[in-house]
Amino acid sequence: MSVATPMAISFAAPAGLLALLAIPLAILALTASRRRATRYAVRFPAAATLAIAAGTVPAWRRFVPTGLALAAMAALAVALAKPQHTVAVPVEGASVVLVTDHSGSMAATDVEPDRLSAAQQAATTFLGQLPAATRVGVVTYSDGPDGTRTPTLDRDVIKQTLEAQTAAGATATGEALQVALGALAPNGRAAARPVSAIVLLSDGKTTSGRDPVEVARTAKRLKIPIYTVALGTADATIPNPVSPLSPPIAVPPDPETLKQIADISGGRSFTSDDAGQLRGIYRTLGSRLATKHQEREITSSFAIGGLILLVAAGLLSLPRVGRLP
Amino acid sequence: MPLALLDALALAVTRRVAGALPGDRRAAGVGAGTELAQLRPYAFGDDVRRIDAAATARSGEPHVRLEVPERTLTSWLAIDVSASMAFGTADRLKADVAEGVALAVGRLALRHAGRIGVLAFGAGEPRLLPPRGSKAGMVALRRALRDGVGTDGHHEPGALGDALGRIGRVARQPGLVVVISDFREQHDWTRAMGNLRARHAVLAVEVHDPREGSLPPVGRIAVVDPETGQRLEVDTSRPRVRERFEALEAQRRQTLASELRRLRVDHAPLSTDEDWLLQLGRRLR
Repeated sequence: MSVATPMAISFAAPAGLLALLAIPLAILALTASRRRATRYAVRFPAAATLAIAAGTVPAWRRFVPTGLALAAMAALAVALAKPQHTVAVPVEGASVVLVTDHSGSMAATDVEPDRLSAAQQAATTFLGQLPAATRVGVVTYSDGPDGTRTPTLDRDVIKQTLEAQTAAGATATGEALQVALGALAPNGRAAARPVSAIVLLSDGKTTSGRDPVEVARTAKRLKIPIYTVALGTADATIPNPVSPLSPPIAVPPDPETLKQIADISGGRSFTSDDAGQLRGIYRTLGSRLATKHQEREITSSFAIGGLILLVAAGLLSLPRVGRLP
Repeated sequence: MPLALLDALALAVTRRVAGALPGDRRAAGVGAGTELAQLRPYAFGDDVRRIDAAATARSGEPHVRLEVPERTLTSWLAIDVSASMAFGTADRLKADVAEGVALAVGRLALRHAGRIGVLAFGAGEPRLLPPRGSKAGMVALRRALRDGVGTDGHHEPGALGDALGRIGRVARQPGLVVVISDFREQHDWTRAMGNLRARHAVLAVEVHDPREGSLPPVGRIAVVDPETGQRLEVDTSRPRVRERFEALEAQRRQTLASELRRLRVDHAPLSTDEDWLLQLGRRLR
């Protein structure tokens, strides 16, 4: 499962594109025939009057039928190359687990309105973007994984779990990832589900529990990629929970470790210090995860388009020129 | 050329330019003629043959008789030899008609010791042949006509007006000016024509071709203006185009006719598809 490769057009028979060479040839033939037509023009002293009588046709309008015919040729030539359009289709039985941090540092307000709310909104967007057939699980964690939902089709349960979080406690990323892996691969074997992925959102260093990098290696072995999102700005602080008079605690995100996790497990890492950006990342992930790319032939649309252009060119040029362009 | 017709034409032309004939107009100075101008005493150097016997006898002193000089009619032919004259779809080219008219008028003008000057314009540098009489005049006219019309692609706006102005400058004595052209001229020539009319009798011979006035529906054709080189493709099967063309051409010729009438210039429209000599005579009568 990959996140890259935007929609593209490929060709099943690229040799057919050679037919495009017919277009410059057609242009040459057209100009030659037009030159021949005017070379054998009739001498006519009243040509000036005739020009007024015939009226002036704007230059571009004279070339509209020709242009349409050439466009039709191009479309038909492309159709000859059997163009294919890459589309994303949902994968049956795919599962995604959202691992969301709600440690104390998520209360920082460097992201509007605060990190936790931004993460919750973005996660809701993510759920909306996922194909309906994709199962979604959730693991929320602070001192340890506390809210856990095994992958399910019921989005409301996931939303409730996500909204029940409050920002408090430490950051046990490794433990939470382990739980998520357990939810996706209960037997500790790879490919328990056809396509699975973990989306990890965290805003700080792992402060308790096992090393998340070790868990990432396990994920790699289970072929479950972990997509990581580092949230927050480097100079963010939260008020000191011990005493309001004490200096505030710095809560910078830890993009390096998250990147390491993503790289080891085969996912991708993102960083975000802005609610809108975060939502954008989640939207992209939601539309890309649990889908696969399939090539669909679109030869027929090119052929039909070419025919329509051809007919339009003919209809436009017939009454004016009395012949096809 | 039928001689009887030519004689009839001669009468018509003579009547037109009667104002410029001898006896009707006083010439400057004295010279050979039939009408007495003055009698004066003989001075050394006078031709003795001019001594008037009766006056000398009566006065006892030798007197010479001086007469009003007889002026011959000088005609000018302004011939349009632009490329547009080399066009004709009926019996002959417009240039052929122009040539015929020039020869007919030249033959008439050379009668009675008349002289003709020729100005061929519209094909590059205008060619001016000064007035000559008798056979020399005919030779000069034939030579000027032999060169034919100019080559295609030579466009000279204002050639007609310039030619008329030039004739006005070189034609000192009042005479007949015949302008043979298709009057397919964008520039204004009426002022020069008016100036010319003030001193001379002017005959405007307009040569046209029936195809210039109406088009047959022959589908799409490419035409080129012989002078400006303007090319265009026209669909002649469209009635609207043909009707508009006819209306515009009719309007152009009507404007020309009314303009010539306003200037009191004789107008002889000749077509390439008719007996132009007959038509010319009929027009002038």
